[in-house]
Amino acid sequence: MPMERKRPQLNLDELHQLKWLLGGVLVLLSVWTVFYLEFDAWTLMGLTTVAVSATLVRPDWPARVPAWTHRLVFPAVVAFFIGDLWVTGEVLPAVVRLDILLLLYRGVSYRQKRDDLQVIVLGLFLIVVAGVLTVSLVFAAQILVFTACALGFLLVITLVESAEKGAGKKVANGTPSWAMHTRWRRLWVRVREVTDWRVVALGAALFAGVVVVSALLFLAIPRFQLENSLFLERFVSKKARSGFNETIKFGDVTDIQQDTSVAASVDVTDRTQIPANPYWRMLVLDEYRDGTFRLSPTLRRAAFTPERTETALRGALRPVLGEPVYWTFYLESGISRYLPLLGSFEQLRFRETQNFRFGEELGLVALREEPATMTAYRVEGLSTGGTLPDAAFAKSLKEHKKSTPKSDTLLMLRLGVGAADRALLEQRVKEITGGAELTTGEFARRVDVWLGRHPYSLSPRIPDGPGDPLVRWMSSEEGGHCELFAGSFVLLARAAGFPARVVTGFKGGTWNAYSGNFTLRNSDAHAWCEIFDRATGAWLRADPTLGAGGTQPHGAKGEATLARRTDRSWSARFDSLRVFWYRRIVNFDQRSQVETLKAMKEATENSGRQLRALLTAAVERIKAWLAGPWDVRRVAKLLALAAGLAGAGWAWRNFRLGIFGAGTRRRGAKDDPVRREAGVWLRRIADFGYRTPDTLAVMEELQRLRFGAPATWPEPEAVFRRARQAVRELRRRAGARK
Amino acid sequence: MADVTTSDEWDVSAASGRRRRFTWNALLWAMVYPQRGQRIVPTVSGTLLIALALGIGSAAYNSANNILFITLSLLLACLILSGVLSWLNFRGVAWRLELAPPLRAGHEAVVGLGLRNRKPFLPTYGLWFDLVARAVDQGPPAVAESTITGKGLDLREMLAKAAKEEARGQLFLRERLDPRGVTRLEWRFQPVRRGRLRVELAGIGSLFPFGFLRKTLSAELVEEVTVWPAPVEYRRQGTAAARRTAGGERTARAGSAGDLQALRRYATGDSHRLIHWKASARSRQLLVRQLAAESAEGYSLWLRTDASVWPRPEQFELLVSFCATLAEDLFREGQLVAAAIDDEAPMPIRRVRDLELFLDRLAAVQPRGENLGGVSSPREGSMRGEGTPPTGMAIKRKNMLTFVPDGARGVAAYADGEKTATA
Repeated sequence: MPMERKRPQLNLDELHQLKWLLGGVLVLLSVWTVFYLEFDAWTLMGLTTVAVSATLVRPDWPARVPAWTHRLVFPAVVAFFIGDLWVTGEVLPAVVRLDILLLLYRGVSYRQKRDDLQVIVLGLFLIVVAGVLTVSLVFAAQILVFTACALGFLLVITLVESAEKGAGKKVANGTPSWAMHTRWRRLWVRVREVTDWRVVALGAALFAGVVVVSALLFLAIPRFQLENSLFLERFVSKKARSGFNETIKFGDVTDIQQDTSVAASVDVTDRTQIPANPYWRMLVLDEYRDGTFRLSPTLRRAAFTPERTETALRGALRPVLGEPVYWTFYLESGISRYLPLLGSFEQLRFRETQNFRFGEELGLVALREEPATMTAYRVEGLSTGGTLPDAAFAKSLKEHKKSTPKSDTLLMLRLGVGAADRALLEQRVKEITGGAELTTGEFARRVDVWLGRHPYSLSPRIPDGPGDPLVRWMSSEEGGHCELFAGSFVLLARAAGFPARVVTGFKGGTWNAYSGNFTLRNSDAHAWCEIFDRATGAWLRADPTLGAGGTQPHGAKGEATLARRTDRSWSARFDSLRVFWYRRIVNFDQRSQVETLKAMKEATENSGRQLRALLTAAVERIKAWLAGPWDVRRVAKLLALAAGLAGAGWAWRNFRLGIFGAGTRRRGAKDDPVRREAGVWLRRIADFGYRTPDTLAVMEELQRLRFGAPATWPEPEAVFRRARQAVRELRRRAGARK
Repeated sequence: MADVTTSDEWDVSAASGRRRRFTWNALLWAMVYPQRGQRIVPTVSGTLLIALALGIGSAAYNSANNILFITLSLLLACLILSGVLSWLNFRGVAWRLELAPPLRAGHEAVVGLGLRNRKPFLPTYGLWFDLVARAVDQGPPAVAESTITGKGLDLREMLAKAAKEEARGQLFLRERLDPRGVTRLEWRFQPVRRGRLRVELAGIGSLFPFGFLRKTLSAELVEEVTVWPAPVEYRRQGTAAARRTAGGERTARAGSAGDLQALRRYATGDSHRLIHWKASARSRQLLVRQLAAESAEGYSLWLRTDASVWPRPEQFELLVSFCATLAEDLFREGQLVAAAIDDEAPMPIRRVRDLELFLDRLAAVQPRGENLGGVSSPREGSMRGEGTPPTGMAIKRKNMLTFVPDGARGVAAYADGEKTATA
């Protein structure tokens, strides 16, 4: 029997080197959270990366640091933290920088066991803080890698401790022996030598099991709605990354368009409700002044409710009969405090309590602050049409019909340009309308056509000269982007006496074929207009941007419209992961838990029912087959089936150990010629049905050869010789009996 | 010398489940409640993990933040993984005590701990073994005490005494125990006194894999072994040489020279030169010649253990040690014929095995009549070894060694009434 080669073992120095390596990797993994944490800790992160990498390459360097410096570390770190807090006044960023500083120190100094544990705790803190603040999918990947490394690190610590037990403590001064001649390549070779692939495979399987178990625990941990969602967010100030603010300058939206990152993901329970050309409204800008559109304080005061702190709000639409359609939005952080919506709605529910203001007539919801994490909300009964009824505005318009355009109430009629520009605008309106009184829709169509002489350009040139820049651009034939088109439309409409406003948000989006959701990217940012139709008392959407088709009918919906928006690219695959993360993890709550349990129960019941139905059908088929007329062919089939089953049973009996025990417990049991031959002789003797005392002794030896440990084997050749004699004797006796 | 004695079977950990029939209920219960003899105590890192889990759990519930719930789930899953790996680490490991008697009081003894990993491909790491060696109580069985009857007992003193008389040691499995591998750890200690010694594998512990929990299993593996009296230094008197007298005793003992005494079966270690080939061929089994050693005039030992003669325990111990040392020395010189203790029938000492049996008896001997109410005062003659010998020794008065107290602490050996050695 071939002797299994004894695998070498890592010595204590090599274990220490492995521990040092894993500790360094953990430090680096932790501090790299700064990449997506958006705290001002880049210098510290860079310093830590360089220093820890250097000490990983040369573990003997920390020994060169004078011992007295270690005594200064603690006061220096405390002073740094207090100073940081004093200067910035922000607790969480200061704590994060303190954490990185401590990790830096632990990463570049020799560690005792408690220091190793400190590295794990500090690293975990950083990763969890980053995860909580960003709710990013990167967190999932990072915590998994961190957990794997931390478990490996703890394992090596335990092995080091075990190897050191009873060996006496080593002198801590000076360079440790393991750090003096560290060669990572050699260590790699040694680790490969001592590694058994089966153990590695089992380790990987166990880690996969950890992930599965943690997922199950995540689903099973009981949830209570404590109505308190303010956690780490309160310790950090937010900065909007996008331009969706109350004031928009020309070029703001196009700046956002350069960014192709995901802005929001939208789940909808009935995909047929998705409009062919969706406009996701976020902000309405009514006041034009100094070449800038903005949300006027007047409108903000008049249209928005006072701030509320709730998890749900009721919209302008009333519930209708039938299954409601739910739209779940996952708005990424740094987009805007205004939530993208298609229009009015019946009800909006946040995942957690929010501070917000609601503009019912505007169809807008504004959070108090720019959310630092992904914000999830579910909208029920969302209107997808291109009109927005506004009875309040219609009423105020009627009341102030004869008032001057300077009235605050009718800012949406105010041009906000000088007299020369006003005259110019009125002249343009005459060109467009031909002096006729047009309906709102017809006017919008004609303006759309009139503006169509401008080509679309993301780098427009506004002609120099006096007056309003928008009027100058409108009068030229320069190319322009959505803001210029929308702004021009609004000015022309107001000049013609139609109330109009600029709306910003997203247009379109893609349908992710993998996760089945709508994805809005920052590159979908858009500006369009809404023009008030006195006849219907509603705002009509108008998108004069070249090729936008915004003034076309808005009613197209359904699966077919999604086909041209379907995205099957690799980025869609990645986005589907993100949506899964939001749907199943981040947005998981008590309700989801109950739904999951219900779904599991239903799935179990359904599968049980299906199984029972399958079995019943199979039994019925067999019964019907047996009840049929018998002929030779059917008998042959039955016999073939019986033979097949018998063959399968025989194969199972004879080869299963070969299949399942390959390379494991029974390795070699079948391949070993000695064991095989012993089995053959045992079967031969067993065939005779009776035994003699000599036979029993031989059988005992054969059984030892067949099943026993090789160390206990008798001489195989002699046993086989005796077995041969015993079989001969048995044959002779059998012949004599006959 | 006797062979190394080992447990007949490898003992196994409870983790391998040999002793218990598998049931799902037992498995589930074992997950929440440690099995009998198992102890799980969190270490510093384990306490830290539990504190972390509690902190993160509180934060998760306070904030309803799923990121924290995920972290909490991962921490709990890691704890479960730790338990599974620990169970796998213990599983399939078998151990046995390997004792190499005789042990001698005051001399270093080696207790071997054989370890075997029966797992097919998983190694075992980082175990430690708690070993205890304590004397088997020779006195009357302990009486169960209640809180009433036990009033006044100084438990601390009793425990301190018990702890003083026992030796404790810890063995560490520093290297990996390969799958299907066998290794041996050795524990060295000094038995304090002669007698029966119980060597016990008190527990097996491990911090594997992540050091969160200190797991200890009780092994319930006990081996008893005899500790022979400690050898002592003694001084021989001038007349110590055995005298060959007319009509003196001649004995035939197994040895390596002289005439053929008998034939016996071949045993491992016998010289091949001693094989009697003709007899082996006839009987179809290997037989070896057993030769008689040179016969010689020898001594007989007679140890009397009257408590009245040996009232001081330390002097009695010296007596037993002196007797044992003398017996060994005389046997080594081929001058020991027989030995007897008190009124027992004398044992002829022809082979090493006979000497070992005598030393075994000496290991267990206690002062006679210690528990009797009155003890007769020693006769004058007995003080010089002139007492009445046991029945079997009556005709072998020549060269009989007896022992008497020599002063307050010493012991003297008399041969036929003449002082031959003192200790």
